[in-house]
Amino acid sequence: MEAVSAENVDILYESYIAVKGLSFGIEEGETLLLLGPNGAGKTTLLRTIAGFHRNYHGKLLVFGKTPEDARELISYVPQSHSLNGLVPLKAVEVVSMGAIYKKGFFHFRVPEEALSRAREALSFVGLDDVAERRFSELSGGQRQRVLLARALMSNPKLLLLDEPLSALDPSARAEVAAVLGKIKREKSVTMIIATHDINPLMEIGNRVMLINRKLIAFGTPEEVLRDEVIKSVYGPLARAIKVESRLYCITGDVHLHLKGEQP
Amino acid sequence: MIPEYLIRALLASVMISVLLGLLSPLINMKGLAFLTHATFHSLLFGAVLGMILGLILGNLGMVMWAALIITIVVVLAIAELEKRGFSPDAAVGIAASFVAGLTVLAFGVLYKVMAEKPYFPFSESIVSYLTGEVFLITLNDLLTLVIGGTLIFFLMLLLYRDFLYVSFDPDGVESYGGNVRAYLMLLYVMVGAIGALIVKTVGLITLQVIAVLPGAIAMMVSSNIRKILGVSLFLTLGVELLSILMAYRTDIPPSGIATIMLGVIYGALLFRR
Repeated sequence: MEAVSAENVDILYESYIAVKGLSFGIEEGETLLLLGPNGAGKTTLLRTIAGFHRNYHGKLLVFGKTPEDARELISYVPQSHSLNGLVPLKAVEVVSMGAIYKKGFFHFRVPEEALSRAREALSFVGLDDVAERRFSELSGGQRQRVLLARALMSNPKLLLLDEPLSALDPSARAEVAAVLGKIKREKSVTMIIATHDINPLMEIGNRVMLINRKLIAFGTPEEVLRDEVIKSVYGPLARAIKVESRLYCITGDVHLHLKGEQP
Repeated sequence: MIPEYLIRALLASVMISVLLGLLSPLINMKGLAFLTHATFHSLLFGAVLGMILGLILGNLGMVMWAALIITIVVVLAIAELEKRGFSPDAAVGIAASFVAGLTVLAFGVLYKVMAEKPYFPFSESIVSYLTGEVFLITLNDLLTLVIGGTLIFFLMLLLYRDFLYVSFDPDGVESYGGNVRAYLMLLYVMVGAIGALIVKTVGLITLQVIAVLPGAIAMMVSSNIRKILGVSLFLTLGVELLSILMAYRTDIPPSGIATIMLGVIYGALLFRR
């Protein structure tokens, strides 16, 4: 069964078309790496699949249902720095958010069962020791892993991740990428990951989609990450290179060294 | 012998402190200071409208209800604008500009109605809505404050965690099945309802400060939610009671004293940093 299928989907803000004519499909258990420059519509597409943004035309189905009807099957992981750091929640309280909203309107106390599951989820992402620490005091990588733990609390079939590696140092990126790999291996969850930095995620990506307010390319990493394709979006300095049979994509972080300057 | 009006004022300030002490950290965490400002201004519009109707119909008791109804209508309008895609600040800005203009127009109508009707009791009300007159609180006012305040207090307590989660990550709450719109609507209505209940005793001019500063101060001295709530509650209570006792001795309006005390504490903490 297709986890997500889109046929001629136009996503709109009022009458302005933010993303035009998307058609693609991914199978259950696959991981799609969603690539595109700033303003390409990556977050808009994720929020539309998540059911938050409903102004779209065309056919968009998540496990055969409309995004609104498939809400229970989806977990959306926002960028950690988009969350309100003024609210002094502990990591375990953030994670338990993922479990309590299936029942009731008032949540004065988090049930012990939800707290216990939240601790297990934290342990799964390698954060046994931060449960009682304030979320905003954690490092960027830890915060992102807490959000991944929260996303797993609702046992989703589809995980939507909005730039999980952004603003992280290389070691934190590797940690988050390792957790995503673990989720893929052990939970068999379908994932769509919007990212600027595709390289740490190349091992878990079955498919790559490149967009820039419209579909530029969709397919396997080898099919999409070709010089002529990425240059058409990121400009003439962008390149796809292969080192020891591993594909790397250089999109923005290119350093030019002028003659006589020390590299 | 303690005068009865002083006891009423002290009891009212305990209720006010409990409500504002609990609400103030939420206003700061959710970034609702601008919305609070607009909400409290709509209270003035509602009060003036209530005075016009009260003068025409000869019913003094409708002022607070008119203020409450208008405030809730404004809050719902702001929520609807947000739903239609306006940013929270833009939605508040649009509503606030209408409310401010309508208030001035309503004052014009009120003066005309007052010229034709006996208006002395109402002129006192206008002043008390602006500056607050906790010593003039009647037994009926106190009962309304205690009953209404207790209901809001328990509702706010039951929803406090949900309000924190919605402040932290509204998309997350919605993603996991929570009704963000309903939570926000309830929070906004509570801000308006608390304002309507206490505006006559605290006064519009100082209400904004007393609603925002205790939470801001509490968040400066602690990063633990229980401690933040404790500091906010005790700070509001201490400042309210002290200002009433000082006002009793000096005849200076208590809300003015409370505001200055909070400003001094906030300024001192900022200076120390």
